[in-house]
Amino acid sequence: MKVALTGNPNSGKTTLFNAITGKIERVGNWAGVTIEKKEGKVKKSLNKGNTSITAVDLPGAYSMSPFTSEENVTSDFVKNENPDIIINIVDATNLSRSLFFATQLLELGIPVVVALNKSDLNKKKGIAINVEALSQRLGCSVVETISTDGNHNGLEELISTAIEIKGKRQKAPFDSSAVDMADKSAIEASDRKRFEFVKSIVSEVENRKVSSNRQTKQDAIDRVLAHKWFGIPIFAVVMWAVFSISQTHLGPLLADTLVGWIDGFYGWAEGLLGEGVSPVLSSILLDGIIGGVGAVIGFLPLIMVLFFLLALLEDCGYMARVAAVMDRFFKRVGLSGKSIIPIIIGTGCAIPGIMATRTIKNERQRRTTAMLTPFIPCGAKLPVIALFAGVFFNDAAWVGTTMYFVGIAFIILGALIVVRITGEKNAKSFFIMELPEYRFPSIKRATISMFSRAKAFIIKAGTIILLCNAVVQLMQTFNWQFQVVTEGAADASILASIASPFAILLIPLGFGVWQLAAAAITGFIAKENVVGTLAVVYSITNFINTEELALVEGASDVASVMGLSSVAALAYLMFNLFTPPCFAAIGAMNSEMENKKWLWSGIAFQFATGYVASFITYQIGTLLTTGAFGSGFLPGFIVVAVIVVYVAYLMRRGDKRATEKLALSI
Amino acid sequence: MDSTISSRIILGVNKIMERYDKEVTNLAEAKINRAYIIKDVKTNDEELKNFLFTLGCYEGETVTVLSVLSENYVVSVKDARYSIDKDLAEAIIV
Repeated sequence: MKVALTGNPNSGKTTLFNAITGKIERVGNWAGVTIEKKEGKVKKSLNKGNTSITAVDLPGAYSMSPFTSEENVTSDFVKNENPDIIINIVDATNLSRSLFFATQLLELGIPVVVALNKSDLNKKKGIAINVEALSQRLGCSVVETISTDGNHNGLEELISTAIEIKGKRQKAPFDSSAVDMADKSAIEASDRKRFEFVKSIVSEVENRKVSSNRQTKQDAIDRVLAHKWFGIPIFAVVMWAVFSISQTHLGPLLADTLVGWIDGFYGWAEGLLGEGVSPVLSSILLDGIIGGVGAVIGFLPLIMVLFFLLALLEDCGYMARVAAVMDRFFKRVGLSGKSIIPIIIGTGCAIPGIMATRTIKNERQRRTTAMLTPFIPCGAKLPVIALFAGVFFNDAAWVGTTMYFVGIAFIILGALIVVRITGEKNAKSFFIMELPEYRFPSIKRATISMFSRAKAFIIKAGTIILLCNAVVQLMQTFNWQFQVVTEGAADASILASIASPFAILLIPLGFGVWQLAAAAITGFIAKENVVGTLAVVYSITNFINTEELALVEGASDVASVMGLSSVAALAYLMFNLFTPPCFAAIGAMNSEMENKKWLWSGIAFQFATGYVASFITYQIGTLLTTGAFGSGFLPGFIVVAVIVVYVAYLMRRGDKRATEKLALSI
Repeated sequence: MDSTISSRIILGVNKIMERYDKEVTNLAEAKINRAYIIKDVKTNDEELKNFLFTLGCYEGETVTVLSVLSENYVVSVKDARYSIDKDLAEAIIV
């Protein structure tokens, strides 16, 4: 039996879905978190029937006629995939809007049960709903639910009602089957009548003590958080707190402990292998696998704390306000205020960030956001930043902070360039976003989100990263004749010979050595690999250390092994952060952009940005510190100049098109 | 002395505001906390118009501006709050 979960955006469909299936799909307190349908089996404890029930969670929609592409998913599903039952999740605090969609669903000939969700909020707001009368007027069962509550949430009743009504058909309370679907004005007239009908129901079944258009505490909070002048500083402080807690305070503190355990494990494994094992095998096992994976796993606490805090942020209702605050700035560079949401999510992981662009209606804005979101350093890039900050900059906090600001600067710059290249700098777009109610974020949900991320990270470390490290270790150990390369002759290894040609391209950036080139290349598979590969190629196993003394000592060691100046290290960091993200994120870009030209231009743009940024950092930095340009200045300068001239040409061409368009429209 | 001057200024401003108030034609000029009846949604974007309709924002419905924040308007339509930009507020004729 298949049950479809439908309802308005932010009515709590996914929360209800997670509660009845035990899954942990992403939830958040703003409209448009879910963008794809998700399936799951209803828990045995709720399902008292004999047949198993598959619940299908759908993106929110306001009506059967879709506005955004994710709303399409919903209407297509209920129309074409014949679910046995529809559970229509209705936000109990907003009957007058929700029932419009409900009455449309009731006409489909599929049995519907209404879940009157968030019914706990009604008591707080002094809204009383006569459930029986509502059920009678709609001609279907209505069950009160509180899907955020662990007990007494009405979910068992909801599922048993759904089982009961299978195969039964209700009579639609509002019948529009006689309306000619080809006649636009007839449809409009019918929809108006539908709203009138909904109004008559609401006035009958709902009793509000306070009219919803009165000022509330929520509005007072809005006036501060989304204030014209305070809005941005508040947002900056919030984000700064998120990053400093996860990356300079709590995160590293926990990481120290974890690294201690990993070191212990390394020593234990070393002892276990003993003297008798061949040095090649032991180096693959110890340095390649335990060392490489351990180096990555060591950063897990930073990522977990980050995800915990982001989940709190997403849960409290602040995201929609940030979108409103940012709109006037983002509009100026041709983006939408909604573009900030993918960017914030992208600080955790670029993939869900890129997917979150789907709620942006304007195609160019959506594609541009998908293309620029990876510029904000994601969770997987954290280890890379933390490593370089620790090794080359004495753990200076400014390194991480600067990277985020540089990321934001590139997003703004990129948006400006793209809007001019596409010739749409005069294009107008509207912004509308529902402001959800603020609520206290749930620690439980944030914890669940954190552990599910941690699990994904560990799985990734245990599969892709482990494999990559093993391969890198093997390629480094052997030469093309499959002989073990002798100590000190590592340049003859397979890895060195593959990575060296790429390294030549990197000379103008200050890090033209094959080890660093190899790490940058494996970084495209997964950014965590940069740290893993560096650990393997330089045989370093410990990047974070407990005692300060050890850190200073260890740090200078690592720096000297790599043989990079601080300036070159910064350039290398920039190169890794601002070139294209991992393949998985490129895949996400592909599916959201739905256009190969955009995809390839996007990747090219990211490469160009990373190369230029890295070149400028290294050459200017070297000029400032040593008084002369670094190696390979001239060839690098030619490459950078060609890129800049080409982009400028594209912008000029776009401008011309924009003026032509403007002339046409007048 | 100062207080009388400032109170005069406030009175004057209020008078101007009142005059201004009579000429409210779209939501961007609307007074805060007052319910207006929507007369028209002026846009060539048919899709946007339909979308606003499904939210309950169409001719004959009431709309209230609750706050004006950073060039964004917080409006109440039906029982929900939305943040809309100035362009959209100007398109909603009241």
